Formats: sequence, C-alpha cells, structure tokens
Amino acid sequence: MFFQLQLQLPDGGWTYVVSIILISLEVSLTAVGLSTLFSLPIALFVGFTDFPGKHIVTAVINTGMGFPSVVVGLLVLMLLSNSGPLGTFDRAFTPQAMIASQFVLATPVIMSVSLSAVESVEQSVRDAAFAMGGTDLDVGIVVIKEARYGIVTAVLAGFGRAISEVGSILIVGGNIVFSDGQSYTRTLTTAITVEARQGRYEVGLVLGTILLVLVLGVNWLGSWIRSKGRGERSA
Amino acid sequence: MTLTTDGVSLGYGDETVLDDVSIGVDSGEVLTVVGPSGTGKTTLLRLLSMFRRPNAGTVAWHGTDVWRLSDEERLAVRRQISMVFQEPSLFNAPVARNVLYGRRVRHSWRERVRRRVRNAVGDHSMTEAAHTALETVGLLDKRDRNALSLSGGEAQRVAFARALAVDPEIMLLDEPSSNLDPRNTAVLEEAILRAKARGVGVVVATHDMNQAERISDRIAFVYDGRVVESGPPERIFDDPRDQRTKRFVAGDLLYEVDDENALPTSASESPS
Ligand SMILES: Nc1ncnc2c1ncn2[C@@H]1O[C@H](COP(=O)(O)OP(=O)(O)O)[C@@H](O)[C@H]1O
Ligand SMILES: [Mg+2]
Repeated sequence: MFFQLQLQLPDGGWTYVVSIILISLEVSLTAVGLSTLFSLPIALFVGFTDFPGKHIVTAVINTGMGFPSVVVGLLVLMLLSNSGPLGTFDRAFTPQAMIASQFVLATPVIMSVSLSAVESVEQSVRDAAFAMGGTDLDVGIVVIKEARYGIVTAVLAGFGRAISEVGSILIVGGNIVFSDGQSYTRTLTTAITVEARQGRYEVGLVLGTILLVLVLGVNWLGSWIRSKGRGERSA
Repeated sequence: MTLTTDGVSLGYGDETVLDDVSIGVDSGEVLTVVGPSGTGKTTLLRLLSMFRRPNAGTVAWHGTDVWRLSDEERLAVRRQISMVFQEPSLFNAPVARNVLYGRRVRHSWRERVRRRVRNAVGDHSMTEAAHTALETVGLLDKRDRNALSLSGGEAQRVAFARALAVDPEIMLLDEPSSNLDPRNTAVLEEAILRAKARGVGVVVATHDMNQAERISDRIAFVYDGRVVESGPPERIFDDPRDQRTKRFVAGDLLYEVDDENALPTSASESPS
C-alpha cells in the first residue's frame, strides 16, 4: 500500500531534501530574474521599433521556446568546459553553470510572452504618454505598467520552464551532492532522476510532490493575476 | 501667433497626406480644423504635437522652428502643448492618477519616487490643477475609479481633464466629441470655452460643422491635405468661396474620395 511506504531518506535526511529545494529555487529564481532584466528592454525595443529583419528576430524569439533543453545544456557545457572559450572561469558543474543554461531556456519564454504583452498596449496609450510631455523613457515605463499582468505571466511562465527543466542542468550541473549529503548542483528534477534510478520511489514522490506544488502554485498565481487584471478593467 | 505651421508637408511612406499647410493658433482662441474624414486633420495635429517632423516646411513655437531646437528644448516646448486623442487613450489606473500623469512626468525622479511612496502609504491628495481639471469636466466623484471602467463619454472627459491639468498654453483636440451623446458634448464644449477664457489656445479637429459653428473663433477648412480656405465662422458658413467648402457646409461631402469625378460636382448637378 502506498500509505505504508517507509520513507527512507538518503544520507543527510531532511536537510538533504531542504538543500535540494533551496538550490532549485536559487538557480531558477536567479536565472529568471536575470532573464527578465535582459528580456524586457529587448521586448520593448522589438515591440515598438521598426528595423530590417524584425520578422526574423520575432520568429527566432518565438521558436526559441521549443528549443530542446539537452541541446542548450550541451552548448553551455561546451562553452564552460576546460577547453571551451569560457573555460578559464572554471564554472562547469557549478550552480552558476545551471543558472546560465536556465537563463538560455527561460529567455525565449519570457521574451516572447512579454513581447506579445507589450505589443498589445494600444498605440493611442503610448501616444498619450508622449503627448502629455513624457520622454521616451516615460513612454517605456507606461508600456511596462500597462502590460504588467502580461509581464508577470511571462516571468511566471519562465520560472515554470526553469524549475521543471531537467536535461540541461543535468548536463551542466552534474547532479552533485557533497559528502555530507547536502546538495551542490542537485535540483528537484535531477534528484528525482537519481531517486527513481535507485528505486527510492518514496523519496522521489516526496520531491515530485514538492515540485508539483511549486509548479501548480505558480500556474495558479498566474491565472489569479490575469483574472485580477481583467477585473480591474470593469471595477 | 503661439504655434504655427508654415508650408508643411507630411506623408506616410510615399503617400503625401499634408501638402503645403500653413496655419496658426494664438492664446485664448479656438481654431477649428474641419474637413471630411481622411483629409489629414489627425496628421496635422500629430505634426503640431511633434510626434513627427515635417518633410518640408516648419513648425514654429513663438516664431522659433521647433525642429532646430535641441531635444531638451523641444521637450520643454512639447510640455506647453497637450493633446486629446480620438481613440481611448487612458491608462489602466485610477482616474486621479491619469489626470496627474502630465504633472508627474514633469517632476524630477527623486520627487516622483517620493510621491509614489506617499501614494502607496495612503496619501491620495491631488494637486490643485488636477482637482480643478476634474471639476471642470464634472467627474470629481469618479477620481478613484479605474479609468478603463468608465463609459465612453466619461473617458473622453477624463482625457480632456488630463490634458488640461498640465496648464498648457495650447490644447489639441482630435474629434473630441465623436463618441459622445449631446449631454456629454455640451459638457466638453463648455470645458473648451472655459479653457479658452483662461487663455489657452485650442485647436479642435472635427468633421462636425455644427460643433465648429458653436465653438470656433476661426475655421480652417481642410480638404485632401490642403487648407482650402479659412476665416471666421460666419464667413465660412454664410459665404463659402470654395466649391468643396460649400458642399461640405451643405452636408454632401462627408468622406474624401480619391476620384473627384466619382462625386456629383456642383457643375454636373445643375445642367449648364
Ligand atoms: N499611420 C498611418 N499610416 C499610413 N497612412 C495613414 C496613417 N494615418 C493616416 N493615414 C492616411 O492619411 C490620410 C489622412 O489621415 P488622417 O490624418 O487620419 O485624416 P483625418 O483625421 O482627417 O480623418 C488618410 O488617407 C489615411 O489613410
Ligand atoms: Mg482623424
């Protein structure tokens, strides 16, 4: 029976589980935070400037969402490995390497969702900001504020992609635990692969449940924010 | 003249929309730009508010070519001019914040942050000007409502209040009552005349001849991107000199047509 399963935690006990959660959150939140800072200005620029090749850029952003994560992991590892161009920094198999690969994976999601949010802001609203004496920066701020619900949705979607992703961080992080059983580069997803392989299904289930709660929580938050946005318009 | 154009031309891509247009507006007067849809009224207002630079000719502020000014100087001029758009253009924020917007962008960043914090802790006081502006359009009681939840008429009046609250020298109004019922139209026209009495110069673009007759000191009739004739309303209405003005005043020239011959002209109407 499921309920009678003995929960046999590996070395480190609950601190093992907690350290995995913390590493997962640290890596995903940092990657998503950096990606947001990177993606928003680009989304604003692409959304409101006409330049040659704009269609191509938009297409790349949108197709980037489906980029296989193992390929991203492989490329990031090649960049960071001893013989790679960034090898001197010695960052392969570290949390920073995982942040780098999750940054690459989250960016197309955050960029394309915020691009469509930003593009849905009416021209007349932007014009109003300008005509009321706003500078280009003021107009940009107005656009971000008008698109705020869409942008939050974008960030949450990016987080959802990052936290549940396994292929790339397995490659660039190496799924490492310290000898005292604390996680170094082991995340919820990569831990589950280990627990499953070693037949410790109960631990895997615990980790899986935590991951599920995180992802569902983020999705719920996203739809709550969207409905709040719709509500405001008719308040 | 406060704000003038001299021989300006402007187009979109290869298409010329405004062709050699010279008009001007002074403080304390209402200039109405009338003409059928598609003749370039909106384009003219956007030129006056410096959205775009003319392809030829000059836009001048108290005699100075605004496109020869530095960006900073031109921003200072822009901040003497405000505009109300034909389409809904309010921000997804409370009415009061909408009306305060023009004031806000004129503050230093430090001041903006300070006010934002005060607002967050519950200080919702409005400046005198914003208060007066909302009062002028009769919407003081809606100050805390989200602007996107207003009716079309209320929204148009808030947009007017937002433009008025910056104490502009010149206001540009694009079809200000195209979506309004008669009561809202009356409120808005009253507000226009009050702004004028305070010394604001107002440019109104409209295809509504009756409105033009009610509020104008001067009328410029625009057709196909050119000022066909201009003058005081009595003259334009009682003694239009141009055939197209005549037909527009009579109400049979509502849309611009590419092919002049497609419309019955005065000549072909009466057998000669
Ligand atoms: N953004 C634009 N791009 C291309 N053509 C435009 C644009 N805006 C207006 N036009 C064209 O310019 C002409 C004048 O438009 P507009 O200034 O809006 O006239 P009005 O306000 O008198 O109705 C029309 O033929 C219109 O189709
Ligand atoms: Mg128009």
